[in-house]
Amino acid sequence: MSSIAIIRSQVECRIPGALTVYERPEPEVFSAGIQALDGETGGIPKGALTQVCAPAGITSGRTSLLLSLLAQVTGKEQFCALVDATDCFDPESADASGLCLSRLLWVRCSGRSMKPVEQAFKAADILIQNGGFGVIAIDLGNVDEKLVRKIPLTTWFRFARVMEALPSALVILLPYSAAQSCAALTLNLAASAQWSGMETVSHTRLISNVEVKVEVGRTRTKKHVQSASNNFTVRPQWA
Amino acid sequence: MFGCIHVPDFPVQAALLRESKTLPVALLDGPESLLKVVACNAPARSVGVSIGMTKPQAEICGVTLMKRVQEHEDAAQAELIDAAYNFSPRIEATSSGTIIIDLSGSERLLGTDKTIAQLILSEVTKRGFESNVAIAGNPDTAHYAARGFKGITIIGSGDEAQSLSKLPVEVLGSAPDVLDVLHAWGIRDFKSLAALPSIELTERLGQHGLHLQRLARGAVMRELVPAALPPSFQESRELEEPIELLEPLAFVLNSQLEQLMGRLIERSLATDHIEIELTLEVHSDRDVNAPVCCSTLSTYQRTVKLPVPTQDSRVLLKLAQLDLAAHPPHAPVKKIKIAAIPTQIRFTQTGLFQPIAPEPAKLEITMARLRAVVGEADLQNRNLVGFPALLDSHRPDHFQVVPPSAKQSDSAEPFPRLALRRFRPAIPARVEVSAEQVPVWIGFSRRKARVTCASGPWRSGGQWWDAAGEWLREEWDINLTLDGHTALYRIFRDLATRNWFVEGMYD
Repeated sequence: MSSIAIIRSQVECRIPGALTVYERPEPEVFSAGIQALDGETGGIPKGALTQVCAPAGITSGRTSLLLSLLAQVTGKEQFCALVDATDCFDPESADASGLCLSRLLWVRCSGRSMKPVEQAFKAADILIQNGGFGVIAIDLGNVDEKLVRKIPLTTWFRFARVMEALPSALVILLPYSAAQSCAALTLNLAASAQWSGMETVSHTRLISNVEVKVEVGRTRTKKHVQSASNNFTVRPQWA
Repeated sequence: MFGCIHVPDFPVQAALLRESKTLPVALLDGPESLLKVVACNAPARSVGVSIGMTKPQAEICGVTLMKRVQEHEDAAQAELIDAAYNFSPRIEATSSGTIIIDLSGSERLLGTDKTIAQLILSEVTKRGFESNVAIAGNPDTAHYAARGFKGITIIGSGDEAQSLSKLPVEVLGSAPDVLDVLHAWGIRDFKSLAALPSIELTERLGQHGLHLQRLARGAVMRELVPAALPPSFQESRELEEPIELLEPLAFVLNSQLEQLMGRLIERSLATDHIEIELTLEVHSDRDVNAPVCCSTLSTYQRTVKLPVPTQDSRVLLKLAQLDLAAHPPHAPVKKIKIAAIPTQIRFTQTGLFQPIAPEPAKLEITMARLRAVVGEADLQNRNLVGFPALLDSHRPDHFQVVPPSAKQSDSAEPFPRLALRRFRPAIPARVEVSAEQVPVWIGFSRRKARVTCASGPWRSGGQWWDAAGEWLREEWDINLTLDGHTALYRIFRDLATRNWFVEGMYD
């Protein structure tokens, strides 16, 4: 018997399981309803924090992605919650995406008594405590990046730890990757639009589709696809 | 077989329900200028207080003086009736603090007479009363035994006269003139009354005298007069000192809600609607026009509604607390009245493979807590917390936010669509248009950008019959390039004011 094997057996004898490599179980996921994204990432992980990042003020497809995810989850008769820090959720778009509105608890932060970000995090805390929601989404997409930078990393860490024990997914729309390593999945999005019709006649022109480029910034589910990018297309309601 | 519950000094026990009974307490009643003691407990009697004393006389004895409140006694009587209903549906509320229960046939269910008596006593004790319980073959024997003997008394069939013999004739509760006659004859107890010759007694006191003698012999058998159910589920409490803070108020609310829920549970009912009425003591210093050193009472009402019926007092307490925290009363609370609207219990079938969903009662608390954080409603009076519902209208951004409902609406097949992120309210913009009236430059939120592509105009309008609600607008979808990125916006021009606004961003 080699000396390594002898040492191994001696250690295992005194501390059973000390040298055993435990495989982290594959987390359960929700389908986002977008084949390209589900194929690359495996889906939106339950019991973890997912951040969807794109700069504020530009079209990136993050809201379309979120509504698609919520539509998938509410379609399976689960309840979801959306904490809307800047009150920008559009029920008409959600309805067109197939989201069951009667299963979506919408919390509209008014920013009257305290700052919207503060309200959003307090509301998210309450929703996580209540339990029973498949997806809890926090939309900080329109919040000024300077304000998001002021959120301490411990806040994200706390959310990540609390979510570990729950069968729900926490999805946060952010202007940049603020949660860093606390997020199990980070998606960076950018989009470009395609128009149809004659350039000179404005009323013949229509947005025909929006090509969304997804870059998987970080994932715990499939290590090998880090920094891989993939595209998907979202069409407007009239297309 | 009949059982009787008798609560001695019932008015005092009703006033001190769920509180310490060891304090010497006397209850006062009558006009403010001439308050007299109408009831007192044993510790108060031991220090010399007696019924009929005036307030100053009672004060000298150093006892706690309280004003008699009829509502307390009604609530306590309802509580006693509830306790009795646990043992039989046939009960009689003989008087305040005295309930007779028909126990015929309950031996097989509950056990021997002694076991039944112990069960009744423990049930009544659990509800905060010190009582006597007696079981006998007829209602009146049980009644007088409970009034006359402390603790549990069991009187077997045929032993009625023997068992009641030592009781004083005052226990019969007869008119004072009849008692005076009996005392004049030297009749002091049931035994002496039972031994009198019936014919001579009837000649002197009439049929009433004969009836009293038969009662003393334990020989009267009668039907019970059924007690009526409480007309409503209400609890009321008047406080000695007004409460200013919500925390002590919640303490009082808790005990009242527990009693109400207990009553509902006994009748297999639940509630989805409670009404809280607070009587506030408004002091004169709040109103500069009012005369100094006087206070007025005003009422403050709140309603707590649940989407599903509940029997859990903690859920209702939490909702009431959150509601009162969001809408606090403007003055100290002097009196609390809670009414629960009874409804049938909700039965639901659960399954192992059912998707997770928040519990309805818990969700209501969560929504109340969320409302405490974000507020109740926006400027258009739409709720800030709830479930979105589209309205049947062509007006843009026309929706309402509703509480959860048991009925779930159907939705279309999920499919990723380009979503709009709305700006509420719409952002005012400066737009330069070309000769063809197509937007070419736009400036909003300290940004200016060239419009690279525009789709429109898409005109819409509605509610022309209502000057206040009429809307008419011209919509455009525009493509901007901001910092090298594509940005698709929806803008519109209000045709009434000719002003431009940015409605939202496609995302």
